[in-house]
Amino acid sequence: MARDLAIDLGTANTLVYMKGRGIVLNEPSVIALNRQTGEVLATGREAWQMIGRTPGYIVAVRPLRGGAITDFEITERMIRLLLQRVGVSRFTRPKVVICVPSAITEVERRAVTDAARRAGAADANLIEQPMAAAIGADLPIDEPVGNMVIDIGGGTSETAVISLGGIVALEAVRVGSFDIDAAIQNYVRREHGIAIGERTAEEIKVAIGSADPTVDENQAEVRGRDLMTGLPKTVVLSPEEIRFAIEDVVSSIIASVIRCLAKAPPELSQDFLVRGMYLVGGGGLLRGLAQRIERETSVPVRMSNVPLEAVVLGAGHVIEHYEALKGMFMGVRR
Amino acid sequence: MTWVIVAIVVVVVLGAVGVIVRRRAQGADGVEMFQRQIDALSPEARRPVVDQVQQLDPDADDPDDRDDPRGS
Repeated sequence: MARDLAIDLGTANTLVYMKGRGIVLNEPSVIALNRQTGEVLATGREAWQMIGRTPGYIVAVRPLRGGAITDFEITERMIRLLLQRVGVSRFTRPKVVICVPSAITEVERRAVTDAARRAGAADANLIEQPMAAAIGADLPIDEPVGNMVIDIGGGTSETAVISLGGIVALEAVRVGSFDIDAAIQNYVRREHGIAIGERTAEEIKVAIGSADPTVDENQAEVRGRDLMTGLPKTVVLSPEEIRFAIEDVVSSIIASVIRCLAKAPPELSQDFLVRGMYLVGGGGLLRGLAQRIERETSVPVRMSNVPLEAVVLGAGHVIEHYEALKGMFMGVRR
Repeated sequence: MTWVIVAIVVVVVLGAVGVIVRRRAQGADGVEMFQRQIDALSPEARRPVVDQVQQLDPDADDPDDRDDPRGS
């Protein structure tokens, strides 16, 4: 008998929670394929290390963009391999709960559930990421009080107001930490005339990226390919430059938070001033982002204790209490 | 003729009673299901799942120490 699973199928990382066991897998959502034969060469961390460094016959891809499946067949193969790694076989087919962005379309929902069923799940149900994040972040969503959660993932940013186990207001934008990486790539290309890869852009973000000035700011040396000469070149970037480069993306995320605050009923709005908003998701770890949101909204922002795992933990809790919480699945409530 | 009228009345009354009983049962199910959902979302019910990760990650109390801002 297979143990039921909860999957946070993120644009950047995939986490799997197994009923009764906890988190059993946490890997980048990347798959490396042989371009000629279509054979899978690597998945997860191994495939992530190949991004931008593969010979012509290998392609390392992220099959999800903006939280949605961009390549159905590859996603199905990736889910199948992930399920195999956690012990799912043809004879042990578990029930699966998958976290998805709340803004995905009906067609995208079907693509995710079909991919999971074809990959070996006996039954696949979906739950909105902000709801799962609120459960996993241990917010008191069983009480009639306003709980606000901001989930900034790789491809989407979602803000939700939750009370009494349901979503009261929701705002989602298909902008996330990958857009921050892309903005850094574009800036370096435009202003310094060098091309850098996806992973280098991410390293710059981690090293000196920030949404608001911080106390310890250092410059970073970046190596790439000179667009004019084609030769390797090194440039020095400052935190101010990176803040300027990512400003549009950060502003777009903050604007969606403000729109969600505006949608909240007044009775719940007053709770936010006391309880604050909770930031989860990898994108929320960008330095200065919490302070910037706090400054622009005048609402305290608190970081979850488990920002990267909150979503899968919430879905894991749902799988642990499947019968009691099955009313929370997408498509069941509406 | 009288028997026909009596039969129709009996059928209508039984039908109405059936509808009322079913609606009441559904109402009770809704209340019960909602209560079960709220109970399952309580901090006590969530504690085992949340504690699992906090035990695994000794740095969980200090999110500033994390250095991997990749999205999830």
